[in-house]
Amino acid sequence: MIGTRLFPGGSGPWLIAALFFGLTLIGLIVPMIVGVLWSLVNPRAGWFPPNLVPPSLSLDNWRAMFSVPEMGEAAVASFTIAPLVTALCAALALPTGFALGRRAVPFRRAIEFLVLAPIIMPGIVIATGLGSMFIRFGLAHTVLGVILVQTVVVLPFMIRIVTATFEAVPQDLIDAARNLGAGPLSLAWRVLIPLVVPGLFAGGVFTFIGSMEEFVLTFIVGSPHVRTLPVLLFAYLGGRSQIFTYAAVVTIVLLVPTIALLFTAERALKQEYLAAGLGKM
Amino acid sequence: MGEVLPGPVPAVERSRLAARRRRDRWVDLLLLLPGVGFLALFLVVPLAQVFLRSVGLALIGEAGHFTWDHYRQFWVEAQYRDGFFFSLWLGVASTVISLATALTFSALMQVRFPGRLVVSVLYKVPLVVPSLVAAFLILSLVAPGGILARLVAHWGWEWPRLVYDRWGWGIIFVLVWHNVPFMMVIISAVMAGIAQDINDAARNLGASPWEVFRFVTVPLSMPGVSAAALLVFIQVFGAFAVPSLMESAYPLALPVIMQTEMMDRANWALASALGSVLTIASAIVLFAYYRLVQGRESPAR
Repeated sequence: MIGTRLFPGGSGPWLIAALFFGLTLIGLIVPMIVGVLWSLVNPRAGWFPPNLVPPSLSLDNWRAMFSVPEMGEAAVASFTIAPLVTALCAALALPTGFALGRRAVPFRRAIEFLVLAPIIMPGIVIATGLGSMFIRFGLAHTVLGVILVQTVVVLPFMIRIVTATFEAVPQDLIDAARNLGAGPLSLAWRVLIPLVVPGLFAGGVFTFIGSMEEFVLTFIVGSPHVRTLPVLLFAYLGGRSQIFTYAAVVTIVLLVPTIALLFTAERALKQEYLAAGLGKM
Repeated sequence: MGEVLPGPVPAVERSRLAARRRRDRWVDLLLLLPGVGFLALFLVVPLAQVFLRSVGLALIGEAGHFTWDHYRQFWVEAQYRDGFFFSLWLGVASTVISLATALTFSALMQVRFPGRLVVSVLYKVPLVVPSLVAAFLILSLVAPGGILARLVAHWGWEWPRLVYDRWGWGIIFVLVWHNVPFMMVIISAVMAGIAQDINDAARNLGASPWEVFRFVTVPLSMPGVSAAALLVFIQVFGAFAVPSLMESAYPLALPVIMQTEMMDRANWALASALGSVLTIASAIVLFAYYRLVQGRESPAR
């Protein structure tokens, strides 16, 4: 289109390919390799300048995953909380998404704005309100409190995607099912829910990844008792002494499932779902 | 409604209709309750509390009384004011740089080039990378003593100071890395929808490729572009994690100051006032955006 005529010699596409692959190499592949190397550094030898590669490698930092209690606990916390948040979001979003997608509900604009609010509001502000509220209710520093605050920020994605999916269900199918004698329950169970499963799946991927990565609210409401992987990563990167080796291990434990999920769900994360979740304001 | 109907509606019929409408309202309410109720309880209530507390009301264990002191403190004390402007700077700089990059890359992604499919999957990876991980990856690359510093040291060059600096270039770098793919997803979708005829017409009328990009592609992508830019700005303006890890000792970003006030000093009132300032500033930007878009969207589409 534009670029084919930018370079009339026909080398244009190759230049663009070189640009993008070069950027991917520097911006994505090299940092990932450096991250993996950091996780394999031998703690007795270290990895100091000017060495470009660690002088000796070991699995000691990976063993720390099991021997250092805080790391194991954070991994368990993250992988327990994320599915629970996802399930809670699905349960909350299904009826609400149906109402927004298929019924003429009152105060639609106000409700849509409410659902958009957690996406555009700074997390730290929501954390300020919830933090003090949860201290009063005794929910601060508890797993339940963390599940609730994470749900606040990821639920909107689920509601928006489920709503968009319900909107796309053809009315003919519903009418046909009704004509054939389906009651409201069997209509929901046999027709509507199977039709929104793809949207539910896309929303589930969003909420699972969102929950795994959520930091600010978890940090302010959960710490020091409930620590997820991002909270631990923050501790290893900030503070007086950075522990790059442990940070690298936590990074990989956090990244591998989310990137694997991205690749397996590439089809589910079609443009339209991304647009429903993020784009249209 | 009654006047429009041709004849008088039988009373029985009317009451049945009303009953049905009432039942529908109850069904609506019941269906909306889980999602909307949850957000009302865990979003609206705490936010209302933030605003009340910022003016001295609804304090834990103390009798509250109305005061503007916390806002005065924000404006009088340099550290808070500077924090506000530092966050504003991070937001503006990251948005402008991300936007220029994402526009260029999205336009280039419309070209068929070898390996396009691979790139179109790979560029989405940062979407699922948490910003803390992005900070770690970039730190290990560009920090003093990072891989690039070691690499150029081999040739006897000195690596420029990119993190922990006054202007937060390291922070901006991480945020741009994180946000460009997000913008590209939205902008590419809009650009793919622009009819090829329009580009061809512009070219036939003698426009150079740059002019096509500047005067056709960019204006027609405006709806997607402005939404993406707005989201990125507000997110960066309120960002806590990356600035907290990569900023210099002064100035601190406003969200970092808020976190210190909350967790180290338990000064929830001041944190609430700072949070309100952050929210109001974001709301002003949001409002300006809607005014701008309303005037622009109809001719563009």
